[in-house]
Amino acid sequence: MNQTQTSTGPILTTDGIPLKVSLKKAERINKIRAFLLVLPLLAFILITFLVPIGDMLARSVDDRQINTVFPKTFEVYKKWDRQGLPSEEVYKTMFFELKNSEGYAVGKASTRMNYSKSGWKSLLKKSKRKFKKIEEGPFKEKMIATDKKWADPEYWLALGQMVDPTTMGYYLNAVDLKYDSSKNIVQQKENRRIYNKTWIKTFKVSLLVTLFCLLLGYPISYLLATLPMKYSNLLMICVLLPFWTSLLVRTVAWMVMLQQKGVLNNLLVMSNLLADENRFQLMYNQTAVVIVMTQILLPFMVLPLYSVMKTISPTYMRAALNLGASPMHAFYKIYMPNSVPGVSAGCLLVFIIAIGYYITPELVGGKDGQMVGNWIAYHLKTTLNWGLCASLGAILLAMMTVLYWAYNKIVGIENIKLG
Amino acid sequence: MRKAIKAAFFGLISMAFVGSAIADITFVSWGGAYTASQQKAYIDTYSKGSSITVENYNGGLGEIKAQVEAGNVTWDVVDVLPDQAITGCDEGLFVKVDQSEFINDMVVPPVSDCVVPQIFWAYTAFYDKAAFPGKKPKNIKDFFDVKKFPGKRGIHTWANALIEMALVADGVKASKVYEVMSTPEGIDRAFAKLDTIKDHVVFWSAGSKPLELVSSGEVVMALAYNGRIGAAILSEGKNFEYIWDATVLEQEYLVAIKGGNEAEALEFMAHASTAESNAEQAKYIPYGPMRKSSINIIKKGEPWFITSSGNIDILPHMPTTPKVLKRAVIGDPVWWADNGAEVHERFGAWKGS
Repeated sequence: MNQTQTSTGPILTTDGIPLKVSLKKAERINKIRAFLLVLPLLAFILITFLVPIGDMLARSVDDRQINTVFPKTFEVYKKWDRQGLPSEEVYKTMFFELKNSEGYAVGKASTRMNYSKSGWKSLLKKSKRKFKKIEEGPFKEKMIATDKKWADPEYWLALGQMVDPTTMGYYLNAVDLKYDSSKNIVQQKENRRIYNKTWIKTFKVSLLVTLFCLLLGYPISYLLATLPMKYSNLLMICVLLPFWTSLLVRTVAWMVMLQQKGVLNNLLVMSNLLADENRFQLMYNQTAVVIVMTQILLPFMVLPLYSVMKTISPTYMRAALNLGASPMHAFYKIYMPNSVPGVSAGCLLVFIIAIGYYITPELVGGKDGQMVGNWIAYHLKTTLNWGLCASLGAILLAMMTVLYWAYNKIVGIENIKLG
Repeated sequence: MRKAIKAAFFGLISMAFVGSAIADITFVSWGGAYTASQQKAYIDTYSKGSSITVENYNGGLGEIKAQVEAGNVTWDVVDVLPDQAITGCDEGLFVKVDQSEFINDMVVPPVSDCVVPQIFWAYTAFYDKAAFPGKKPKNIKDFFDVKKFPGKRGIHTWANALIEMALVADGVKASKVYEVMSTPEGIDRAFAKLDTIKDHVVFWSAGSKPLELVSSGEVVMALAYNGRIGAAILSEGKNFEYIWDATVLEQEYLVAIKGGNEAEALEFMAHASTAESNAEQAKYIPYGPMRKSSINIIKKGEPWFITSSGNIDILPHMPTTPKVLKRAVIGDPVWWADNGAEVHERFGAWKGS
């Protein structure tokens, strides 16, 4: 062959431009086209995903609600030594800022102040009405005369938590800590410590659900992948049918099945396996949450497992057996390692969905089955403490990120396979 | 074929635009027998142009606040609890209304400037007569006494009314309940009383659930909204019995959401809060009207409650009869607006421990 060209000079196209440049040019147009094609999706993700998450993170540290209503009060407040009651100057500034501020702003601020000390809400509302009649000082005495709560140092000390426009208070709240009046971090009152317990419970339930899904899902997926088509199709429908059924319908069906006077207990009692007074308590507790969530999340384990197992060639196993391995040994040495990408994908998927689950614990959780999601919903709907919701959500997000990172370190993310 | 699909597509899109041109009202309430009573009493009879879509919710201001803050208000009129009526009005989520029409006709003064009167309702304990063939529970002490009346109790997932009832069961006078609750020791006392039934409770959050729990025998006694119990007895022939002791009387109001179809919403609310509408609602659910003149309309009209087998006297099922009121706790929404968040967290800790 006539391959004598040994020079390292660039290859040129017919019109003398280096091929690389020309290729880049042609590809750039394609790249722009491709980018334009994904642009709607990018915009969609940005608007519906990244912006809300950013907003949530901002809310979890934002404490301006109140600072915009009482900015001057906080300035003079900072000089107070936190002993006894504040000076006349603090009372006076508070008085005028409350009296002259707009009603709705006070409403919002009082909701915030009520988180640090119950009672601020009605105190501000009543006082704003009564202050209209007061024209001149001494304000300290007159304010105390309108409501003796103004003479309670507890209320004033509670303000100390809110002096800055940003706060870590919501995060502290989310792990059962709080600021005291001089911004030291202390433990929450004992009878209000609920979040640490809830975090542990949420993790425990999610881990159990993931484990049970794996234990149940692995054999099913194995069958699905190895049975002849006509049986495996039927089996697949059995897996998918509940998946397509409404979540609520399935949850309620479980309630009928598992409650004390439900189908399962009735059957056991009728067949004399169980005494009437010893009926199992399977509903409205943590057990119920684990059972129902396992059933609901099972397809999320089976589908990735199945798609990976489908790609494991049966010849591997045959080869192993041929070389003298026992079936158990061959399965353990050959099949299981090959199915690891599916296992990890399934586990990660189930765990992530489980940890933020809300509706099932709400319905079947009873007194000890409530998870973090339920508290987020509660504060979102009832107390309007969205800062706390945001911090709980942000902690969940951070946990997932850490988990993902650790997973990537240990197993390697490229080993995940969804199909 | 393709043309037909195209035509149908554009047809649908244009319909969506035409549809939104007429100001419809979205009315949001609690569902079940309660919404049904509102539907029959004043939604079906409303003929001022706007058509009304009914949606259900489970209380709370979260969704309303989100709609108002995002500037995308889809709810127009909402049926709210009194402490939420206060908070929502203070924070500017609701429209202020002209109350001159009814303010002198109300049993209690309205809790805020944004509300029109709806009903009185009560957290009431009840049981299925079949569950107690011998001695029957008579008062709230019996509800908290699992030795005398063994079996599970159905209670709701939030703290309102439970604190009050626990204190009355512990010996506090109904009229002094909020005084005791305003001290830290009072709350401790209530939780100590709740501890005595803790291992025997089943929680519910939707209003229809306690009826199911008692019907199926899952619990022997439960707390429920008195109207739901009444509707089950009167319309479904259930064998339930009220325990008219330490019932916690609560107010219920309608509000218009700021940024919704305010004018239409206010017009509808005026219709929904007339003395006639208030009275009419009692034909379908035994909640007490908030307007004095409504009670007179019902008294004159007895038997007022409509069932398939003829009408029945409704006043004995109302939570506002003098007999019931004598032993009732009048709920204090201001106390709950102030202390709700703290007590609810503690209640959550109690539930989970």
